Amino acid sequence: MTIELSRRGFCIGTALIGLQTVSSSAFAARSEDGTVRLGLVAPMSGPNARYGSFSMRGAQMAAKEINSVGGVGGRKINILPGDSQGTPVEGVSATRRLIDQDHVDFIIGDVSSSVTLAMQPVAEDAGVLLLNAASSNPKITYKAGVGGFKWTYRNYPTDENRALIVLQYAAEKKGFTKYAVLSVDTDYGRAAIEFTKKYLPRFKSQILTEDYYKEGEVDFRSVLSKIRDSGAQAIIMYGNADSTPIVGRQMMEVGIAGKIPLIGNAEFNTASTIKAAPKALEGAIEAAAWLPAYESEKSKAFVEKFTAEYREAPNNHAYVHWETVHLLARAIEEAQSIDREKVRSALSNIHYTSAVGEVTFDDHNQARLPMILLEIENGKPAIKGAYSAEIDYPK
Amino acid sequence: MFFTVIEQVVNGIVSGSVYAIVAVGMTMIFGVLRAINFAHGEYYMLGTFGAWFAIEYFDLPYPVAVVIGVVTTALIAVIVGNFVMQRIVGAPAEAGVLATLGAALILQNTIILVFGGSYKFFSGGYIEPVTLFGFTLAEQRILIIIVGMIVFVGLELMVTYSRMGKAMRAVSQNIECCAVVGIDVRHIALWTFILGAGLAALSGVLTAPVNVSVYGGMGELITFKTLPIIIMGGLGNVRGTFVAAMILGIAESLVATYIGLQFRDTVGFATLMLVLMWRPHGLFSAQARF
Repeated sequence: MTIELSRRGFCIGTALIGLQTVSSSAFAARSEDGTVRLGLVAPMSGPNARYGSFSMRGAQMAAKEINSVGGVGGRKINILPGDSQGTPVEGVSATRRLIDQDHVDFIIGDVSSSVTLAMQPVAEDAGVLLLNAASSNPKITYKAGVGGFKWTYRNYPTDENRALIVLQYAAEKKGFTKYAVLSVDTDYGRAAIEFTKKYLPRFKSQILTEDYYKEGEVDFRSVLSKIRDSGAQAIIMYGNADSTPIVGRQMMEVGIAGKIPLIGNAEFNTASTIKAAPKALEGAIEAAAWLPAYESEKSKAFVEKFTAEYREAPNNHAYVHWETVHLLARAIEEAQSIDREKVRSALSNIHYTSAVGEVTFDDHNQARLPMILLEIENGKPAIKGAYSAEIDYPK
Repeated sequence: MFFTVIEQVVNGIVSGSVYAIVAVGMTMIFGVLRAINFAHGEYYMLGTFGAWFAIEYFDLPYPVAVVIGVVTTALIAVIVGNFVMQRIVGAPAEAGVLATLGAALILQNTIILVFGGSYKFFSGGYIEPVTLFGFTLAEQRILIIIVGMIVFVGLELMVTYSRMGKAMRAVSQNIECCAVVGIDVRHIALWTFILGAGLAALSGVLTAPVNVSVYGGMGELITFKTLPIIIMGGLGNVRGTFVAAMILGIAESLVATYIGLQFRDTVGFATLMLVLMWRPHGLFSAQARF
């Protein structure tokens, strides 16, 4: 018995030593590697793959720019991709893979709010900095910083701002009071409508019909005919960019194009979307974190470079990921190390000049950023101003 | 009110026609191979990609693109049929599930590798709205309904009168007897599969103009819409599939209007559960296949 036990003990011991050797050699490889290991979680496939590919290109372009001038503190940025497929389950396993197998120090991700919310505890447990660049659900930073998750930061404006700004513009400038809702059935789409409802009484407005579509939905005819007969003056849509051309086409079919405009956010300003259904997109009102037509020197230089590099104009996600990689590089530079704790405190105190203005973080690790309001006029997005608002965190 | 209901029924018939063309191929493949083809949606996707490729890279007109999409898919089906599907004949059910799921993964990810995972814009087709009896529809949708009818009448005639059709029915009834009387079962299995894949591709190309977006993962959704239809229709039953597709299309359309768009996808599986509880052989007896 005792012999057997010690044999077992020997086996376990050997296994442990083996494991330790493996993990320490992996650790050695990582520090000798001399790069900044940056994980990028984004939907590279699935219904949101468009966002993922733009995000990746934006981030890679930034890494290339930084690496071509010698990297940060002599370290090159090495981007390791993780495919979330836009679903929380895949997002969490991609994050785990990046942390456990690729040994990343920093993660940028995801685009979808549902995925980011699921990634937060994973990053927190591992003590890996999660810098979000493109999710807009307010809950993400309600729960960050003094709210709980110390390792989550967000460099993107939230839906609460957006809902208020859009509603205000629609009510004051257009005189709308009756709305139909057609949003995507995700944390993003539903939360945006929740915040819209919060501000409806302020503008004496009401919602007449409320529908949510599944990602990948292609048949909107039934719901659009219902909206046509409901008497709504505008459709509030917080949706996916890829569904917008489909909705636009079917709006033309059921005869509401040009009569009931889309308001909210689902990339109404993308040239190919407008081309797919020009009549339906005319008069669409959108609040975006950024758009290619934004007038600033840095922004214009980015659009030009991105278009030259990928032969396609960048979208919002390309921009925010490009900007966020630069932001992280600046934080690493100011921390003068890739030590996670030091980079985190550098990020908290950063004053970074982005293409849309100065970026600083509040005590919920939420960047203070403006939203740009635009309206589609004669097939082109016309910018109606930049708005920002302080967030009321729930006590 | 009444007009709205009629309009929604018409909407339902349009989506039902699309489901029907895809599902009929899947149900025929089941009849002959006794395997649910989980890769069926991928042939729908391949057809759409073929047509998109022809339009985007070679500037070909839409009707030519339709032919290219269907023919390309049929050629891929010849390869998959020879190497995979023929081997399923007489194999246990698990083999069919694994083989078709595997084929689905390979086809889908090859397309994502080659063309990227992002949505592509499909610019062909006839999307101008026309008004018929007070309903406004895109011309393409009328085309879909007409082609759907032609496909079903054609299939009915084929399985009733042609030699190949009769052989397909025979194989679906009893494989051993077919082998005894000299019907080449593997040959019939291959052709049924190619026909089924071709029909899925046709459906994909026809709907692409109204669905606008083309992407690698688009087939999955179709496979999962089709599955309840072929079970409801009675696996292997062509006429049953047609009716089940129409029922699902119309039910979905009414649910989207009167209950909410978010409940639309539950219709198929909710109906499926009811059918499995009360009529496990499908709404229409599966005794007489085809």
